[in-house]
Amino acid sequence: MSEPLAALEAVGLGKRYGRRWGLEDCSLRLPTGRVAALVGPNGAGKSTLLRMAAGITRPSAGEVRVFGQSPQDQTIEVLRQIGYLDQERPLYSSFRVGEMLRFGRRLNPGWDDSVARAYLSELGIPTDAKVGKLSIGQQAQVALTMCLAKRPALLLLDEPVAALDPVAREGLMHVLLRSVVDDNTTVLLSSHALSDLATVCDYVIILSESRVHVADDLDYVLASHRLLVASSQEAPEIPPGVVHISTTRSQRQTDVIVRVEQPVTDPAWRVLEPTLEEIVLAYLREQGPRTPTMSPGAHGEAGGTAR
Amino acid sequence: MIWATWRMHRLIFLVSLAGAAALAIWLAVSGTHELHAWTVFTSHHCSMNEPGSSQICMNSSQGSDWFSTVDAALCTALPGVLGLVLGTPLVAGEIQLRTNRLAWTQSITRTRWLLTKIGVGVLFTAVVAGALTPLIWWWTDAARRGNHIQPTNFDFSGFVLVSYAVFAFMLGAALGALIRRIGWAFAAGVPLFVLARLGVRDDIRAGLIAPTSATVSAYLPVYNTDWYLNAGFLPLGRSTPPPGQTWTSNDAVITRCQGPGFSGAQKPAHSATYCENLHRLHYVMQFQPPSHFWALQAAESAVFLGAAGALLGLTVIAVRRWRT
Repeated sequence: MSEPLAALEAVGLGKRYGRRWGLEDCSLRLPTGRVAALVGPNGAGKSTLLRMAAGITRPSAGEVRVFGQSPQDQTIEVLRQIGYLDQERPLYSSFRVGEMLRFGRRLNPGWDDSVARAYLSELGIPTDAKVGKLSIGQQAQVALTMCLAKRPALLLLDEPVAALDPVAREGLMHVLLRSVVDDNTTVLLSSHALSDLATVCDYVIILSESRVHVADDLDYVLASHRLLVASSQEAPEIPPGVVHISTTRSQRQTDVIVRVEQPVTDPAWRVLEPTLEEIVLAYLREQGPRTPTMSPGAHGEAGGTAR
Repeated sequence: MIWATWRMHRLIFLVSLAGAAALAIWLAVSGTHELHAWTVFTSHHCSMNEPGSSQICMNSSQGSDWFSTVDAALCTALPGVLGLVLGTPLVAGEIQLRTNRLAWTQSITRTRWLLTKIGVGVLFTAVVAGALTPLIWWWTDAARRGNHIQPTNFDFSGFVLVSYAVFAFMLGAALGALIRRIGWAFAAGVPLFVLARLGVRDDIRAGLIAPTSATVSAYLPVYNTDWYLNAGFLPLGRSTPPPGQTWTSNDAVITRCQGPGFSGAQKPAHSATYCENLHRLHYVMQFQPPSHFWALQAAESAVFLGAAGALLGLTVIAVRRWRT
């Protein structure tokens, strides 16, 4: 049986800015219907990956496909399927909010005005307000509304919650979940708010130093990592059969994040299940060529790569 | 998309409209003033009973006062300024404010987005420039009184003015798409537009329609209804210089024949006639008569609209290829 069409697929994707790679040899496959978290430090290549997927940035190497089509072709078919929220949330500041909705309605045949108005009403953003006069957070909400009302099959959101207060973040996550359930939308969102991501995402992509380190199901990522804890004074050797990700030492305690294939049974270590935040931080903390990566196609159809 | 284009650029459209309206009012006032001044002048000096009056009236027919000069400069600058002001922000403004990232991820191709914006912009530019054309024509008649085919008047007479404005618009749009900054695109657009206009006016316009040639006396006064291009002594039977020669080369023959210090004003005309007969020459004037005015307008408009079309193609390519 042939493999189902991926919402987003990148093969050897790279982007060079002058002599520096903004993203290098990125290969991943995001299945449809997932909410994927794209995490990594500033400059890791998250925005570059999203822009290439939206057809805004041209790859220097490799290719990216959205539902089997190249976004670089800029065809109507592929444009209709993508909802892209840029990190800078560009809006026409001289427009009123209602005019932004009219703009969206005129340019998108699949536009759902009732969704847009209901969402804005929920947020208390009046449609006769001038976009330029709104707060940064409200502008972010309007920009996100523009993406959602387009009813795309793939939402690419670059730092969607960066300017939002905790209540608004929760509201956004709720809206995203509703969109996924109602429309089977696939979401790829970058964020630094790891605690928020863990509540809505079921897929995680960890980028660091322009490379993909993890791209897999969240459940699998959580299940395949362990936090080993021991006293700093008596810290034993890292048990065999695990892949070391990172170690943090304090005067009292040594914490080691490892990737495991089988349960760790060494009684010298207290074995805990790490949170997503702890796993991500472990990968990001140990940046550089030594950082281990999950092997391509490590789990099911979710193949992540890394060099 | 038409509504969106209007809404996006409404401010600059309205500012341009206000500028054009201000110029129209100014030209109406200035033209009325010049017309009155001319009427007063002719009633005093252009009497057939007054010796030499026709010469005075003829020489005064080129408006030359300060107002007229400034107004002519405004009319000459109008299409360039209008087109560049409206065209430059069309693409560069969106790229500069990053709103292109919003527009180019909607369900519309960049080509359609661009062509709609350009269509609206070009139409607006052409309508504004076209609406001013009859007023400027009237003002030219009132204040300058020269024939419209003269280069000093041709530049803002007739529908060629609309083609200049459309060309300037597309120049601004193309530079904006390539340079991606409104200020720099405008700064580059001004000299390029001036160069294009001067280049066509000085080097191309005269040859767009085959000029008329006539054999005339070298020492009769010329009148300003025609646009004189060249004049000089040529071998009999020729209306243009022989290959490898210029219009002035046979003048040198005449000068040598007549000896040092010869001047047509000082010596009897038969001296020149003697030389002409000796060397089998005749004096030829090449000019564009007023009857060629509309043909020249159409030809020059085609040149600028063709260039605008090429710039449109360049802009489409630049926008389609644009990536960060």
